[in-house]
Amino acid sequence: MSIVDAIRADAAGLLQTGRAKLVLGYRNRQGRRAPILLADAAGADQLVYDAECRQNLAAYLRKPEVRQQFPVAVVAGPPVMRSLVMLSAESQIPAGAVTVLAVGENEYHGALDLAATAQLLREKYADPAPDEELLRRVREVAAMSEEERAAFWTEQFSKCTRCHACRSACPGCYCQWCISKRNVPQWISTADLSHGTFAWNITRAFHHAGRCTLCGACEAACPQGLPLMLLNACVAECVEKEFGHRTGYDLEEKPLIGSWRPEDDDGFVR
Amino acid sequence: MKLLRADRLAELAAALAARGYRVIAPIRQGRIVRLAEWRPGAAIETAGISANSVKDFLFPRSEIIDRYSLNGGDFVQKEVTPEAIKTVALAVRPCDAGSVSVLDTVFNWDSNDAFYNARREACTVVSLACVRADEHCFCTSVGGSPGSSEGADAVLRAAGGGEQLIFEPLTPKGRALAEAAGGALAEGEAAADPVAEIPLRFDIKAVRDWLAGNFESPLWQEFASACLGCGACAYACPSCHCFDMQDESNRKESVRYRNWDSCGLALFTLHTSGHNPRSTQTARWRQRVMHKLSYIPQRFNLTACMGCGRCSRLCPNGLAISETCEKIARLCKANHEGGTP
Repeated sequence: MSIVDAIRADAAGLLQTGRAKLVLGYRNRQGRRAPILLADAAGADQLVYDAECRQNLAAYLRKPEVRQQFPVAVVAGPPVMRSLVMLSAESQIPAGAVTVLAVGENEYHGALDLAATAQLLREKYADPAPDEELLRRVREVAAMSEEERAAFWTEQFSKCTRCHACRSACPGCYCQWCISKRNVPQWISTADLSHGTFAWNITRAFHHAGRCTLCGACEAACPQGLPLMLLNACVAECVEKEFGHRTGYDLEEKPLIGSWRPEDDDGFVR
Repeated sequence: MKLLRADRLAELAAALAARGYRVIAPIRQGRIVRLAEWRPGAAIETAGISANSVKDFLFPRSEIIDRYSLNGGDFVQKEVTPEAIKTVALAVRPCDAGSVSVLDTVFNWDSNDAFYNARREACTVVSLACVRADEHCFCTSVGGSPGSSEGADAVLRAAGGGEQLIFEPLTPKGRALAEAAGGALAEGEAAADPVAEIPLRFDIKAVRDWLAGNFESPLWQEFASACLGCGACAYACPSCHCFDMQDESNRKESVRYRNWDSCGLALFTLHTSGHNPRSTQTARWRQRVMHKLSYIPQRFNLTACMGCGRCSRLCPNGLAISETCEKIARLCKANHEGGTP
């Protein structure tokens, strides 16, 4: 059975037996892939899966309309699986609420619970192939002087229209009242001038330090072509170097920005 | 008639820039073609549709509409005049030009918006008729057409199999532009190429009738199910015009900004009390469709969706007004054929 047929069969089975009230998957729309939220087993033949499926469907788990339908099943490749493990570790998924239709590299691993998903990730997908081009660009940015780097990011952020497609696309952005939505007081200017766009983009990147699974959904969603993955990868490199931390492999992991260890380096305190 | 070679649009831009116009044209910036200020040496890309629209230059993403000084406890209003540079929007799409009529109407409906009007007055719109369209284009379904001159001061039409462009001035502003172009436009004769064929996707009348009676339809939940609630569609839309005002202050000065806002964002309708009348994304997506295809048509006899397809081209989650309309139209047809109202 092909991967897609297996996904369709499991999706239909879960919906028929009531083990899932909703399946979050991908469909074809005008030659591109788009998310579909399927409630009826009869529609399972609309489901597709290939390398073009770039939306991170774990983002839908913050939507009240979806949470009301728990338990749900999510079609997930390794980055989406890592996001689901991260969300569970951050207490965002009630026990038993999510079944993972786990798609690996050229392989379908079946309908798994989150513990089995985390185990699969540790055993088979613990070392994702590095994106050499992205790492080259990270080194380029790292080699810049502070002034050059500030100028580089200012230029990149100047294209931002503050539509927040990056935030919407990201499963890690589940704050009901994101700091950029808080307007009493207005923490981050909503103008598209540099003070607002810089503050928003840097705050977003910081808040995902050690939480970002590098799925690429934010950059794919950005209508202005901002190099958000470059920013994420710069942060991820610091996290790896300073804390040896990776996210999305352990249901018990502590979120990096929400935890503190006595042995953490405090050399930056001046 | 006035002609220019299709590969010499940049020369027309240069001639107009030399006569004091700020030239806005579709220019490639990385992986995206945007309407942006033309600079000498920049190529003008006319093959597709730009990611942004003319709206950006008439009603910018952010603008300062007031300033106050707070010296010594006194609160003094300083005059802010709109920055209206003489501009030509060159080789924009007919759907873009058409959207200007919608903006003209909404910015002059109950009061006259001095900031919008100053920019609008200073702007000459030159559209380029479409000889190609993609699968997201649906202007013909919402009353537009790929050769429409609605809202334009002049139209460029491809001729001679794309070799040449006919420059057709339509208004005094368009004629002034032709004069300013000087030698960049030559006299000659040519026959316009056929415009793109854009199939009719839905019956807009049936959709409007359905919308008028189905605010509470459970189908909205299905239509909006994939929406994750960003403002990307509204910000790319040539006719979306909602805004928010924000005062940014320090101890000496307060600046009042007008910034774009979107009905897709939860904060848009949040009351001070904490109550949100559009509490779900379903309600917010419904508002987007209703505003464009029901409320504005009822109030102004205009359609506020131009069928440019920008929203559906960029929506990361595959939402499209055209798809929602197609579903509604199919439903109406099925109901009609099935004999139920």
